[in-house]
Amino acid sequence: MDVFLQQLINGLSLGGIYALIALGYTMVYGIIELINFAHGDVYTLGTFFSLAILTLLGVTGVVTGPALILVVAVTIIGAMILCGLTGVIIERLAYRRLRNAPKLAPLITAIGMSFILENLMLYWRGPSPVSFPAVIPNPDVVLGSVTIQTKQIMVIVLAIVLMLVLQVFVYNTKLGKAMRATAQDKDAAQLMGININTTIALTFLIGSALAGAAGFVSGVYYGSTWFLNGFAAGLKAFTAAVLGGIGNLAGAMLGGFLIGLTEAMTTQFISDQWSNVVVFTVLVLVLIFRPSGLLGESLPNKV
Amino acid sequence: MISSQRRSGAFAAALAATLGIVFGSILTVPAPAAAATVVKIGADLPVSGADATNGIPTRNGVILAVDQANAKPLPGGLKFEVSALDDAVQGVHDPAQGAQNVKTFIADSAVLGMVGPFNSNVAKAEIPLTNDAGLVQISPSNTNTGLTKGDDAKKLRTSHPDVNTYFRVCTTDDRQGAAGATFARKLGLKKAFIIDDNETYGKGLADVFESDFKRQGGSVLGHEHITKGQQDFKALLTKVHSGSPDMIFFGGTTASGGGLLRKQMADVGMRDTKYVGGDGISDEEFIKETGDMANNSYYTVAAPETSKLPSAKAFVAAYQQKFHSNPGPYSANAYAAAQIIIAAVLKGVKDGGGKLPTRLEVRQNVAATQNFDTPIGKIGFDKNGDTTAPILSFYAIKDGKAQFISQLNLKD
Repeated sequence: MDVFLQQLINGLSLGGIYALIALGYTMVYGIIELINFAHGDVYTLGTFFSLAILTLLGVTGVVTGPALILVVAVTIIGAMILCGLTGVIIERLAYRRLRNAPKLAPLITAIGMSFILENLMLYWRGPSPVSFPAVIPNPDVVLGSVTIQTKQIMVIVLAIVLMLVLQVFVYNTKLGKAMRATAQDKDAAQLMGININTTIALTFLIGSALAGAAGFVSGVYYGSTWFLNGFAAGLKAFTAAVLGGIGNLAGAMLGGFLIGLTEAMTTQFISDQWSNVVVFTVLVLVLIFRPSGLLGESLPNKV
Repeated sequence: MISSQRRSGAFAAALAATLGIVFGSILTVPAPAAAATVVKIGADLPVSGADATNGIPTRNGVILAVDQANAKPLPGGLKFEVSALDDAVQGVHDPAQGAQNVKTFIADSAVLGMVGPFNSNVAKAEIPLTNDAGLVQISPSNTNTGLTKGDDAKKLRTSHPDVNTYFRVCTTDDRQGAAGATFARKLGLKKAFIIDDNETYGKGLADVFESDFKRQGGSVLGHEHITKGQQDFKALLTKVHSGSPDMIFFGGTTASGGGLLRKQMADVGMRDTKYVGGDGISDEEFIKETGDMANNSYYTVAAPETSKLPSAKAFVAAYQQKFHSNPGPYSANAYAAAQIIIAAVLKGVKDGGGKLPTRLEVRQNVAATQNFDTPIGKIGFDKNGDTTAPILSFYAIKDGKAQFISQLNLKD
């Protein structure tokens, strides 16, 4: 039982990272029906941006006291802004002109963007894993025989908070309304006076900013980063988005946590090398019985 | 652009070499000094990314051997060159890239032998190619047993099952794994959890360790395989921790997950659990990646520690002078491998009355090597292509530095 609870924490932390990335996939798909393969690499870029900011701040290890909150806030916000801008630039340069092209063209472009970003990171930080400062002090919370690390709490809380903020933004603000309108029907939205270029750019800004937050979180959580991390993480996060129902925000979050849990539990009760097999089997089974994902149908308003 | 220039340069050199041989034999005039006959020694090693901290010092060993050969008077305007290629793709050794590099060597008629590869799974992709072309290759560091022994090895020699083109100057994992198990038992470790990277080398080594550790009275709590590019080991390590082993044995390399795995042991409360591995984690990169978690790690290397070896004194001094750094764990092995190929070429030239030997003749001479003096001792090859002088070294990482513990000569 103790091991089960411990793995629950591991799975939720891993899932939190997937969920933050999945939100970006699902938003972009919701609005322009594009699987943005470069998104996983924007997430990796987020870890490198965070690392650069931490280096600028002179942080090399654990930070304590009030400085901690400042450092974490500055780094997360900085990484979110930089990744958000990267997303907007990618959309402007690579996807906007192809908006009315056949579906395959932007898809291949997205794969191309992914390779470009990977190689830029390879050039920037080299091909070996790069160490990431611990930042968060570690007075582990011990509940009986279960140990919860502070950074695990941070991952889970941050993922849920950001998802809730996003939910409020999309459903309770004017810009959110514009996003939903654009997702439903671009032409009609334009006729209603919505600037769809701005709205789509905004979607990329927010989605990529969340990947930036995920980047910081994963850097702290794993203590290292690598220029190719985005590939596997992006694939899992995309799976999470599909599992939850692509285009659905709560679905992306649910999918992320479910995949994280599935991985951890498979490792514990079957074997580590089977975790990918089980994750994708679950995906296939869910899609057979619910082709639009777990929450795909119940909420028709995709974003 | 650069690579095409390099390729056309190599082509021109090959053409010049061929013309030199053709005219030399027809006119029976010694080749003029200007048109030196170039013999290339291929070097296929991973020299970028996480593997580079081991790959570059290994390649330096080849360069040093070739430089020293050129410094001596050579017959008939002969000149040796190193043709070095990188088999790491995006930072990790890659079998497909290794095969591609070997094809490049085979296409270049000036290449009469090659040193490499560094990793066993790369060797698996290369052996069928060199076997088909009759190009001799000597690996400084491949330890997977199946590359030379048994049915596995026969399956690799696809074109000419009877003609072995693959040799190695290090010992094999059936011995490295067994020595690792003995070593772990000597450290007083009883309960092991085994993790490998599912590669040719890593899984082979881990399997041997498992059976030997059990035979020597240790208990194995489990054996898991990790996936290439995996980042999250917390779930796996939580599972490992629940059985409270006193050591983890890792079969694999730093680049295939050995570093990250060790680092994340701190997160699940396994900071003080010992970590034992093979030569795959013997690189500087491991210490760099794991930081203070590097301590309490132990590993075996299928090569002698050159700084402790009287026969390697001159080699170490020459290496330090040329490269301004200390040799890596496999530098001396690569140096010896290149020495053997150079000697085989020179013997071929001598036997042929000044004519360059064919690739098969070079192979023949390499296969016949016995009691050949190298920094790592007197080397010969048995019928499988394995060294007749197997030596293993043991290391521990303390205070962030690798420290030599002891050496085992399996011949004794």
